[in-house]
Amino acid sequence: MASVTHALTGGVRAFGHAGESVARHAGDMAQLAWQSLGATLRGQVAFRDFVIQAYSMGVESLPLVLVTATLSGVVTSQQGGYQFTGSIPLYVLGSIVVNGVVLELGPVMTAIVFIGRVGARITAELGTMQVSEQIDAIYSLGRDPVRMLAAPRILAGMLAMPALVGLANGVGAVAGMLAARSTVGLGYQSFLYGARLFWHSYDLFYSLMKAEVFGFIIPVISVHMGLLTRGGAEGVGRATTSSVVFMIIAVLVADALFPPLFLN
Amino acid sequence: MSVIEYRDVYKAFDAPVLAGVSLTVPDGETLAIVGPSGTGKSVLLKTTIGLIVPDHGDVVIDGESVFCGRPGALQEIRQKAGYVFQNAALFDSFNVYENVSLGIQEHEARRLGRREVARRVWHALEDVNLDPRAVLPKLPAELSGGMRKRVGLARAIVGRPQILLYDEPVTGLDPVNAAAVDRLIEEIAEKTHVTSIIVTHDIEGALSLCDRIGLLDGGKLRFIGTPAEFRRSDEPLVRAFADRQAAALTAMRSERRTPPSRRAGDLQSTGRPR
Repeated sequence: MASVTHALTGGVRAFGHAGESVARHAGDMAQLAWQSLGATLRGQVAFRDFVIQAYSMGVESLPLVLVTATLSGVVTSQQGGYQFTGSIPLYVLGSIVVNGVVLELGPVMTAIVFIGRVGARITAELGTMQVSEQIDAIYSLGRDPVRMLAAPRILAGMLAMPALVGLANGVGAVAGMLAARSTVGLGYQSFLYGARLFWHSYDLFYSLMKAEVFGFIIPVISVHMGLLTRGGAEGVGRATTSSVVFMIIAVLVADALFPPLFLN
Repeated sequence: MSVIEYRDVYKAFDAPVLAGVSLTVPDGETLAIVGPSGTGKSVLLKTTIGLIVPDHGDVVIDGESVFCGRPGALQEIRQKAGYVFQNAALFDSFNVYENVSLGIQEHEARRLGRREVARRVWHALEDVNLDPRAVLPKLPAELSGGMRKRVGLARAIVGRPQILLYDEPVTGLDPVNAAAVDRLIEEIAEKTHVTSIIVTHDIEGALSLCDRIGLLDGGKLRFIGTPAEFRRSDEPLVRAFADRQAAALTAMRSERRTPPSRRAGDLQSTGRPR
């Protein structure tokens, strides 16, 4: 009996600690986002830093995002074709591929690529700056790391992500159309007919809205985790791993919240 | 110029690091803080401009509290101070010009204009015995350890601070470069009459350039006095620390004088197979 009580108490305590930790992180990140917004509105963010970050996040991520989008479109098309052949009119595949890519695969796969390529880099970069006292140096020079480091990255993420998702949607849909033709022999006209049949313009807006939210979440978490880094090279590695885990969870949770909030 | 007062500064991480340090550094003085590793020297230095917040106690600079002052006071205090970090803490993606010019406050840089900022950066680099023409476009990764330290020093002095804080300014440098940096610190203090605090392990260098020296041990200030008083002191802690440092220095020098082939374990240089 005593051991059960002990285990229960331990469980409650662990749950409490985890809850407190999540609340603290959330509070810190909200403060970071708020300060970044303030710096942006006051025009204190260096345009040069913003352009450098936007180029690095957007242009340099483009090849990987497009490869991922192409493969997502191809795989969706092939699997849909395999399931529908002989049961459902094949032109429905056009709708399945386009809506699948635009509503889900485009934003989520791009976000996963963004986490790996951009989020991890930001945490490692800022973490290294933290452990090598460069963040302290920024404070000592009377500057604000939020203005210098956080705000340009958050703004660039919010600009780059929708642009990448827009391109990923287009490339994924076209790749799906080509794959449908080559694997199940669905003609372009039939594919486009099916795609138009269930298409709503709102779907594209929904997709870009997701992209905007992911483009905000990823840099905020990665900057926050980078600035929290302690303990040398090992600490940078730990912070980067934790940051990637948090970003993936946050993106998937946000993704799961989108349909009940915006599709019904 | 500036007066710095530490008032019962206490800071604990897992264990207490600073256990109530009180100290006044008068205007224009050069104070060296020495002590064994892990006794809170760097922590004390960082509390001076609010980079670390003490659990209790306060630091007061020219009558203005660092931690309990009016809004904006901390920013003003930081603008008065130059901080030389242990590993220089230069920004990797910025070249030397960009790194040093960051030491001039934003609003002042706007007021001065680009030409004057460039002139000040140039002079700051000359003051630390670097050739501006050669180093200005370089990235920190392209500089030697000694040059990086000097660039860090140039960044600290370019804004013409009233306070200079040095965290282990000669650690990791060879004796020639260490002596050169010590000389620079002395020259800057003489030329600008800034209030300086130097945290260091280099006791000989510290004794040669400071007005007073303090020994921090176990989170407490165990000794404070002039270099002459330090040398004469028969406080057991002071003697033990000074003797340990002297022994370490002697061992290091004899190690340097010994040819590599005589050093124990240096099998490769003796020609024996590994």
